Amino acid sequence: MSFDQRQEGEFTVIEIVEARLDASIAESFKTFAFNLIDNDQHHLVVNLSQVRFMDSSGLGALVAAFKKLAGNGSFSLAAAQPAVRDLFDLTSMDKLFTVHDSVAEAVKGN
Amino acid sequence: MNILIVEDARDQRMLLSVVLRKKGHTVLEAEDGMQAFAMLQSQPDIRIVISDWMMPGMDGIELLQQVRKASGERYTYFILLTGKSDRQAVVEGMNNGADDFLVKPVNFEELDARLNAGIRIIELEQQLEQQNQQLSEAIHTIEVDLESAARTQESLLAKPATIQKVDFDWFFKPSKILGGDMFGYHPIDSEHIAFYQLDVAGHGIPSALFSFTLNNVLSDTSDSDALASKPSEVLATLNNRFQTTPESMLYFTMAYGAINSRTGSVTLSQAGHPPPLWVSPINHQVKPINGEGVPVGMMPDMTYQSQTIQLQPGDRLFLYSDGITECENPDGEQFGDDRLLDCLKHCLTLNISETIRYVENEIRQWRSEDGFDDDVTYLLLEWNP
Repeated sequence: MSFDQRQEGEFTVIEIVEARLDASIAESFKTFAFNLIDNDQHHLVVNLSQVRFMDSSGLGALVAAFKKLAGNGSFSLAAAQPAVRDLFDLTSMDKLFTVHDSVAEAVKGN
Repeated sequence: MNILIVEDARDQRMLLSVVLRKKGHTVLEAEDGMQAFAMLQSQPDIRIVISDWMMPGMDGIELLQQVRKASGERYTYFILLTGKSDRQAVVEGMNNGADDFLVKPVNFEELDARLNAGIRIIELEQQLEQQNQQLSEAIHTIEVDLESAARTQESLLAKPATIQKVDFDWFFKPSKILGGDMFGYHPIDSEHIAFYQLDVAGHGIPSALFSFTLNNVLSDTSDSDALASKPSEVLATLNNRFQTTPESMLYFTMAYGAINSRTGSVTLSQAGHPPPLWVSPINHQVKPINGEGVPVGMMPDMTYQSQTIQLQPGDRLFLYSDGITECENPDGEQFGDDRLLDCLKHCLTLNISETIRYVENEIRQWRSEDGFDDDVTYLLLEWNP
C-alpha cells in the first residue's frame, strides 16, 4: 500500500509510503484523498518525509485534494525534502497552502 | 472439426475414421508418429489428434512431445489411446501434455463424449484467438490515429525562423507519441515579438489535446495585441480562462515573454515553469532568470510578476521544460540544472542551431536509451539587431 492514514486529534495524517510521488501513483493518491474527504475527513495533513521526487502529476494530485475540500476544512503539507521544497518554491505553493517542517507542527493546529 | 488419427493397426484406424466421418468430422490418417508429425506441420488446421501410444518408429508419447515442443499459435488437443487403464500410464501421458485418454478397445459413446470435451476447449480457444485478433486490430487503429495526430501536432509547431532580427530555433520530443509540451513565437506588432513555452501536467492524449487548444488560443494574436506585450497579464488571463477541476487536474506551467526587437528589452513572466536561462556570449555568462508563480489553471485569481531584462546584441534566451533537467540516466540520476548550465556555457561559441543539436546530444547521451520519460522541449532565441 502506497498510503496510510492515522488520526491526530481532528487531523487526518496521510503518510506517503513512496520515494516518488509521480504520474504512476498520482491517480491512486487522488482516489485515497478523495475517499477521506467523502468520508468527512476535512482536516488533512500530508506527510511527505519519504518523498524524494515529485513531478507535475504528483503536485497536481496534492492540489486536487486541496481543491476538492473547496475551503471546507484545512489542508497542509509536512516534512518536504529539499527537491520537493524546490518544486514548491518554483510553483509558489505557499500561496495555496502551508508547508510545515514536521507533522508535529502541522497538527498543532492554528 | 479436423481430426488426425494416428494408429499403426490399419483396421482400427479405419474403424475410428469411419465412425468420426459419420459424425461429420474431417478425418486424416497417419500410420505412425513420424508421418503424423509431418501432416501436422503441413496442415495447421488439424486441431485434434487421437493417437495410439505404442507404434513402431515414433510412438505416441514422442509424437506428443514433438507437438508440444513445436506448438505454434494454435493449441492442438491431444487424446492418447492406451491398452489398459493403468494409472502410471495416465500420469506419464499427462506429464507429457496429453489432454485426455481413451482405453482400447474404444467405446464409441465414450469417444464421442471425450471428443465433445475437446471440441469445447478448441472452440473456446478459437473464440479467444478471434477476440485477440480484434483487440490487435483495434490497437493498431488507435496507433495509426495517434501517429496521425502526432503529425498534426508537429505541423502546428512554429518553424525555426527569424522575426524582426530575432532568431528562433527549438527541439521538441514528446515522451509518448503525443506531447503535452508546446511552444510558440509570433510578432505582436512591428517591433514586439511574443514567445512562450508551456508544459501541460501529465502525458498522453488529455494533455496533448489541451496543449492543442492552448496553441490555438496563444497563436491567435488578433484577440488583444495590447495585452500580448504584458506577460503577467497574459498569464493571469489564461489562468482565469482555464481553471481545472479536482477530477481532471489539467493545468500547465509556462514561461511567457515579449521582446522589443529594436531595443532588446525583454519582459518575462513565469507560472511554475523552470527559469529561462539568459545566455550572454559577450559576458561569457549563463544565468537563470528566477521568477515564481502558481501554475496556470490551479487556482483562480492568481497574480503573476514580470521582470524586464536588457539583452546585448547576440544574447540568447533558453526556455525549457523540466523534461530536460529531470531526465534520468540508467542509474536514476537526474540531468539537473547544473549540467544544463554547463552545457550552455559550452555552446557560447556555437550558433543557435548547433546549440540545439549539442544540447540534444548531451541529453541523449545522459539518457543512453531510446525515448524519454517526459516530454523534452526547449526554445532558443537570439537577438541580432
